[in-house]
Amino acid sequence: MALPRPSAPALALLPALALLPVLITVVAGLHAGGVEILLTCLAAAVHPSLDPALLTALFSALQVTLAMALAGWSLSLVLGVLLGCCASERLLQTWNWPTWPALILRRSLALPRSVHELIWGLLLLQVLGLHPAVAVAAITIPYAALVARVWRDQLEALDPTRLQALLQGGAPPLAACFTALSPAMGTVLMSYGGYRLECALRSATLLGVFGLGGLGTDLQLSLQSLQFRELWSGLWMLGLLSVALELLLTLWRRQTRKAQAGQRRLCLFLAGVIVAGMAGGLWLQVLLPDSGIVVWQGLALPDWRGLTQAAAELPWLPLIVETLLLTVLAAGIAIGLPPLAMLLAPSRFWQVALNPAWALLRLIPPPLTVLLLLLSNRPTLAIGALALGLHNGGVMGRLLREELEQQSVDQQQAMATSGASARLGWLYGLFTPRSPGYLAYGAYRTDVILRETVVVGLIGGSGLGWQLLESLSSFHWDAVVVLIGAYALITLLGEWLSDQCRTRWLQS
Amino acid sequence: MPSRERGAVALLALLLCQGVSVLPSIAKPALRVGAIPDQNPERLNRLYGQLADELSDRLKVTVRYVPVSNYPAAVSAFRTGGLDLVWFGGLTGVQARLQTSGAKVLAQRDIDARFRSVFIANTSADLQPIQSINGLTSLRGKRFTFGSESSTSGRLMPQHFLAKAGVSPSQFSGGRAGFSGSHDATIALVQSGAYQAGALNEQVWTSALKQGRVNTDKVRVIWRTPEYVDYHWVARPDLDQRFGSGFTTRLQKAILAIQPSTPRQATILELFAAKRFIPAEASQYKPIETVGRQLGKIR
Repeated sequence: MALPRPSAPALALLPALALLPVLITVVAGLHAGGVEILLTCLAAAVHPSLDPALLTALFSALQVTLAMALAGWSLSLVLGVLLGCCASERLLQTWNWPTWPALILRRSLALPRSVHELIWGLLLLQVLGLHPAVAVAAITIPYAALVARVWRDQLEALDPTRLQALLQGGAPPLAACFTALSPAMGTVLMSYGGYRLECALRSATLLGVFGLGGLGTDLQLSLQSLQFRELWSGLWMLGLLSVALELLLTLWRRQTRKAQAGQRRLCLFLAGVIVAGMAGGLWLQVLLPDSGIVVWQGLALPDWRGLTQAAAELPWLPLIVETLLLTVLAAGIAIGLPPLAMLLAPSRFWQVALNPAWALLRLIPPPLTVLLLLLSNRPTLAIGALALGLHNGGVMGRLLREELEQQSVDQQQAMATSGASARLGWLYGLFTPRSPGYLAYGAYRTDVILRETVVVGLIGGSGLGWQLLESLSSFHWDAVVVLIGAYALITLLGEWLSDQCRTRWLQS
Repeated sequence: MPSRERGAVALLALLLCQGVSVLPSIAKPALRVGAIPDQNPERLNRLYGQLADELSDRLKVTVRYVPVSNYPAAVSAFRTGGLDLVWFGGLTGVQARLQTSGAKVLAQRDIDARFRSVFIANTSADLQPIQSINGLTSLRGKRFTFGSESSTSGRLMPQHFLAKAGVSPSQFSGGRAGFSGSHDATIALVQSGAYQAGALNEQVWTSALKQGRVNTDKVRVIWRTPEYVDYHWVARPDLDQRFGSGFTTRLQKAILAIQPSTPRQATILELFAAKRFIPAEASQYKPIETVGRQLGKIR
């Protein structure tokens, strides 16, 4: 092929180009009309409400959120790993089974993955009623599908020689897989799994709006009534909790790295995940004692005529164009911003200083960002893209930091001693070896951004996401089914595209 | 498999079986009161507890307050039996009753029978006060925002009056209306100039004015809509079976009996921004249903 092939670091930096059109639009629309409210919000961040009644209420809400997050996280990791193994061609080949079920499973997982937690929650609420299990399942379903995809991709990307050697030596398939794959996959599980816990905490927060309890209701009400001091009390509490969880995980990693062998450490982690899930489930039962049992309350299935009619009524072209534009711009910002920011000054101080910035970006929910940006701007798609991009940029920043921490600094030092500038040393010595992995995470994040377009749809009033919320609030089930189908198709297309790009640009 | 591993597998299986115990036993019946609140949580957490206490004392049952801040979730939770008594808006109440046959309208506030929305505009937007409904056509080509997508006073009725004047959301600047998410956000966004005009609940506007949260140099009212009915208390059909015959009537009486006579009852009325609750009929909400069907919010 004569097609030019950009190098991996360029691929990871190029998406930042999305900042250009977005910033141009945003700067062109700037005005000073909302500065007072903006300043109030910023002042509230350093001066949150400390009213004891509020703090008590927030604290009990935080417990519900944490319990939901733990249960959903644990279930989604276990299910995701199992599904990921079933979707892996390599594992099926090890047993000499046909590989087509893996492909079918992999493609059908696009459906649960493409629907946002909030929408899953609303759908499950229809058939299960108001029960904590709804929130747990709403987190588990899309998360398990995402974990399955990551797990499968990592399995396929491993070097197969050890596995083949063991198999040819006559080892039974199960034992061979465990021996050959568990060291590398264990690291993936512990690092990626730890990161999913924080994501689960954010999703559990969001799911509080259904009346199951949890921080979501308080945060949303504070935002709706523009009570910024109360809003920040909740946000800081959430931030403290996620920092505490993160510290616990890091501490555990550091402790066990010295003391335990790899296999044993993995078993410990798995046991921890399962115990955390059960603790979360029991805790929910204690916190919400009168939630009763889950009862399946069937829902009439939409018929074909209704579906085609609903599909004919929707303005597909603008909906899809807006959604894709929003997703692509936001994904560009989210993927390109972290390496760009780190490249600005590769000094140790700047790299450490960036960490709280990423954490803050992750902490602030996109609807709040949209509202704050709108106060001094005009309602455009760019605002939505910027809000989504910044929020997910916080997530990508964290992932990039973890990737870079696993890279040895040998190459960077070699480049420095041979006279390269600090920036070039960082770019080619540290970032380049890690950028394929980072880009893979970027592709998964794009999935998440696509389904998160639901969240900013609220203010922008644009795209498939807003249409989905509008149809849900009209209880127009035919349209909801058709729209979810559209989301799934776009997700599948994105998966196919990213697979193609990866084989063409990053491998071979 | 060596016995040690077998033991570990058995232990894991046992632990996983514990998941069954997560299914809670059926608790004694509690009356679950829900509301779609639009006020700050600091007040809500303090005040809704008082409503639960008041109803509990009068009716001698356990009452639990469930805050729901998502409109479709409140409607669905009411239908599936997760909520027994809900303070619904006009549109959501009609949606909930259509989905839950036999649900009863119990009461509304004194102000709900004659509710209004206001259209507000940024002073720099060059919009003059509107004398008759046809004046709404001056909003064509402006940046315009509604509140929440399921709100009766922030979306449904304003959109209805706009349609009456021949203005559709596609005629606004950008080809659509924004959805700020709440009445307070509408004020903030119109005041900032992000949107040139918007529509919201008149009661929220008046209280924001009273509390000095509005900069009247930047934003003002350009039109008050005609009257319509809004918020109401709706009860599930099976309350008599669950709590004893005549319970729904007792519940209605308990709500109507809330007067500013005791401090607790005065607090409750203040929370609802009402002087008292009055009986309401399902038939009063027929016009809301008609409008909802016209605009596709009711199917």
